[in-house]
Amino acid sequence: MARVKLTEYKAKQILFQQLGLSYDGAFASVESIPHLSSEKTYVVKVDQGIKGRMKKGLVKLHISASKLQNAIQELSKKGYSQFMIEPMVSYDPSDERYLSMERTREGIVVHYAKVGGIDIEEKKNEVKSVVCHQDDASINKISKELGVPSSFIQSLIEYFELNYISFLEINPLVALASTIHIIDLAVEVDSTAEFFTKSWDSADIGEDTVKTPEERAIQKLNNQSQAAFSFTLLNPEGLLWVLLSGGGASITIADEAYNMGFGKELANYGEYSGNPNDDETYEYTCSLIDSMMKSNRRRLMLIIGGGVANFTDIGKTFKGVIKALEKNKKRLQKKEIKIFVRRGGPNQKKGLFIMEKWLKENDMYGLVTGPELPLHEIMKIAITSSKKHA
Amino acid sequence: MLNIHKIRKQNQSIIALGSHIPILQSMLDFDYLAGKSEPSVKAIIASGRKNMRFFWGDSDVLIPVYPTLVEVPAFIKKEITLFLNLTSGRRILSSTLDLLDSLPNLVGGALFAENVPEKHALEMYSKVKTGSSMVDGRFIVGPASVGLMIPGHLKLGAIAGTEADQLIDSHVFEPGNVAVFSSSGGMTGELIRLVTTAQKRISFSLSFGGDRFPVLTPVEAFLAAEKDPQTEHIVYFGELGGYDEYELVELIKKKKITKHIITYIGGTISEMFEKPPQFGHAKAMANRGEETAQAKTIALKEVGVQAAQSFTEFIEYVKKIKTIKTNIPHPDGYPLPEGGSIQKIQSRTHSLFMNSISQDKDGSVEIVGEEMLSMATKRSFGHIVGSMLLGRQLKSNHTAEFIELIMKLLVDHGPYVSGAINTMIAARAGKDLVSSLASGLLTIGPRFGGAINQAADHWIEGVTKNIDPNDYVESIAKQKKRISGIGHRKYRTDMPDPRVGVILEFTRMLKKSPHATFAKNIEKVTSAKKANLILNVDGAIAAVLLDLLTEKENISAEELHELIDIEFFNALFVLSRSVGFTAHYLDQRRKDEGLFRLSPKDVSFIPPHHT
Repeated sequence: MARVKLTEYKAKQILFQQLGLSYDGAFASVESIPHLSSEKTYVVKVDQGIKGRMKKGLVKLHISASKLQNAIQELSKKGYSQFMIEPMVSYDPSDERYLSMERTREGIVVHYAKVGGIDIEEKKNEVKSVVCHQDDASINKISKELGVPSSFIQSLIEYFELNYISFLEINPLVALASTIHIIDLAVEVDSTAEFFTKSWDSADIGEDTVKTPEERAIQKLNNQSQAAFSFTLLNPEGLLWVLLSGGGASITIADEAYNMGFGKELANYGEYSGNPNDDETYEYTCSLIDSMMKSNRRRLMLIIGGGVANFTDIGKTFKGVIKALEKNKKRLQKKEIKIFVRRGGPNQKKGLFIMEKWLKENDMYGLVTGPELPLHEIMKIAITSSKKHA
Repeated sequence: MLNIHKIRKQNQSIIALGSHIPILQSMLDFDYLAGKSEPSVKAIIASGRKNMRFFWGDSDVLIPVYPTLVEVPAFIKKEITLFLNLTSGRRILSSTLDLLDSLPNLVGGALFAENVPEKHALEMYSKVKTGSSMVDGRFIVGPASVGLMIPGHLKLGAIAGTEADQLIDSHVFEPGNVAVFSSSGGMTGELIRLVTTAQKRISFSLSFGGDRFPVLTPVEAFLAAEKDPQTEHIVYFGELGGYDEYELVELIKKKKITKHIITYIGGTISEMFEKPPQFGHAKAMANRGEETAQAKTIALKEVGVQAAQSFTEFIEYVKKIKTIKTNIPHPDGYPLPEGGSIQKIQSRTHSLFMNSISQDKDGSVEIVGEEMLSMATKRSFGHIVGSMLLGRQLKSNHTAEFIELIMKLLVDHGPYVSGAINTMIAARAGKDLVSSLASGLLTIGPRFGGAINQAADHWIEGVTKNIDPNDYVESIAKQKKRISGIGHRKYRTDMPDPRVGVILEFTRMLKKSPHATFAKNIEKVTSAKKANLILNVDGAIAAVLLDLLTEKENISAEELHELIDIEFFNALFVLSRSVGFTAHYLDQRRKDEGLFRLSPKDVSFIPPHHT
């Protein structure tokens, strides 16, 4: 996987520890709302790695302890389940600052500005950028500009490195003479580094979209496997369903739908790669079919496509796919599904042979072809055939 | 900086970290089909065995396996020019840095694993950019890369496929003038096929891998193609996300890249979504407008690149590349694969066993390379036994003579020893020859007959680590152990074992005898403590044999360790003493006294201890 969003609660917890401060925020869900002192007022935020929460109305300010439950219930009605509560900090908007850090090939790039807040995009010209190293003179420059001690910037860089962070944004940062307030913190970590850090794990990753059960099942499969699986439902009522292999080849085939003006008909995107075994392709295919069967339409097209694999065994992976088709045979036939296959690679003769045999025997044959057909054309053929079908 | 032409000219000697059999086998098949005389894979770092068996054409070949880099012999380390890291994403960084530090002639390598942290990839990037540990032209492709391929010369990774048929279909033995790159491994294979199906041939191809920070950047691959005299065209499949293509645009503007380029940037579909999903690779996410496929395609077009808007257009551009004469003989004289060699690969099966001892050749048996009858008539028994046990012909008559002497000396050690007694008991119980002999042989172990191997272990440890004999004796004493090869029931310093004297005579034929010297020095220390702690027959045999094998048979210290490990020294005892046990069996059968039984006075009863 790649860069994923840490929940703000977790990100702050780790940061405060790094800074040697105690963090007085709390994590909350509808089921568990912490009991907090009635002397203070609070801010309640949706904490699922969502950008622009303030503008989307996902932050509630000046909430008294007794109203916390109400506030959380209101937010949960919008489809969210993870929240955080912090004591309300009041400050003058002119004290708002902006600070972000990003890992690049050249080093950690720090973007900073004397201004901050939710409209930072409109104040782009005031944001300065510099490549920063831990013992750099640029740290002093940043700290002067923002009015924070240079040790604070240094600690942030350490925090960034120790926790395998890829991107960090504090907006606004409120630097007062007495104290520094980190009002909003967004952190992206490198999910591949989970093994190397004890401070966070996959449970601390915010899910910024609501996932279908099938999407969730495939994510679980991906987490448990040596191979890679992804699946996103784009349009549940789309005509074109895809079961693709390989990062590049899957994009090429999906692009063809868009290029032919059928982008809106693409029901899903996803791919598998890294030589999964047949049990895994079976599970993947089953989840995809489950998602497909929820469609109200009939005569759907399923494109099983991929390039010429380097080391993925076509015989083995297709064996799992066919097993899943066989299990769901009745449902697929009832919906009059047509299947179009284009694939190459190790053991391709066997894989394509068993696929063609099964599809013909079960009346789902659209086309089965090897690398003699250019990669993207399988999509073209499926679309053309659907037009005749309709 | 990757230098393709330099790699073409160098000797390809590859070390693999981790084993992925289909990938490694495909690299051997590539070498074989390219007409090379031996596999370019020289060593594998993996656990659990000493060798791994692969096909070389349709016959078997063993590639040595080492548990860690430390165990790889110096001459192999010196030879290695390339590596293929097949370990998991977790281990990539440490294992790669290790390689860079310990292989003096390393040029570069490829990283196969996915899920390598960004931070680790960047650490390797800065090591390659700034480190002084690698020679000029250094590079690392990956992570998450299927590798680098130079037709006829090199296949480093899964690139172009893992089946011999795929390699043949992709024409990767005929060098051409089209360089092919992609971050996607699958698309690299697809493009190689696309280009060669259109009758063009590849100059070189690589996949950078789909991570955010590939160690070898796309721009570096373009620069390598620019510098490569064989490359005239570059075919590139890019994806949405990142700014690599803009760097390329800059280089084209500055005329640093001038060769003909055809591109397709995948991911136009992403336009469809307000919030696009993560496409295939970690990098493939357009966060800003200029990262979209369309924006990149337009920018490339503006500087004269044939940047296709669709894959159909991309294929058309590739087809229009001027076809150069194919089937050009390899510049270095490698032949194109012959029909015969292809057929051999397609019909091969692994044998069940491999052996180097004997073979049946046209009806007559050959033993370690020599016809049996001629061996039996011309060679001594000591020579035949020594050669067979070592698995190769003895070089020196002195070794043969010594082994023959051991065979004789160990033949029996009187009727009272455990093995002989067990043989006699079994014989009197009416058991047959093989059962009675087995009963004696099964007695051989740590306390009976196994001392030669253990003594050899002591002497070799002392010599290779250059340990002071006093310290050595002390350290063994501290462990409350005895030194095998030292001590006798009867003989003492004032009454030495005459057999030991005869055995040690053999050291006179040697220029050096470090093991015998060490053994005698140990004896000095131990016999000063107690007069019967002298060098015995087992200890003397082990010491002299080690010295003979070292000097006369050119056997290295590592091989000596292996001989101890596989119980070579015990084999001599087993072999010789079988004569003695057999003699005792036959003797008992001739006397035929009936079943043997002990009386109560022989086995005393001690009441169980009560608390």
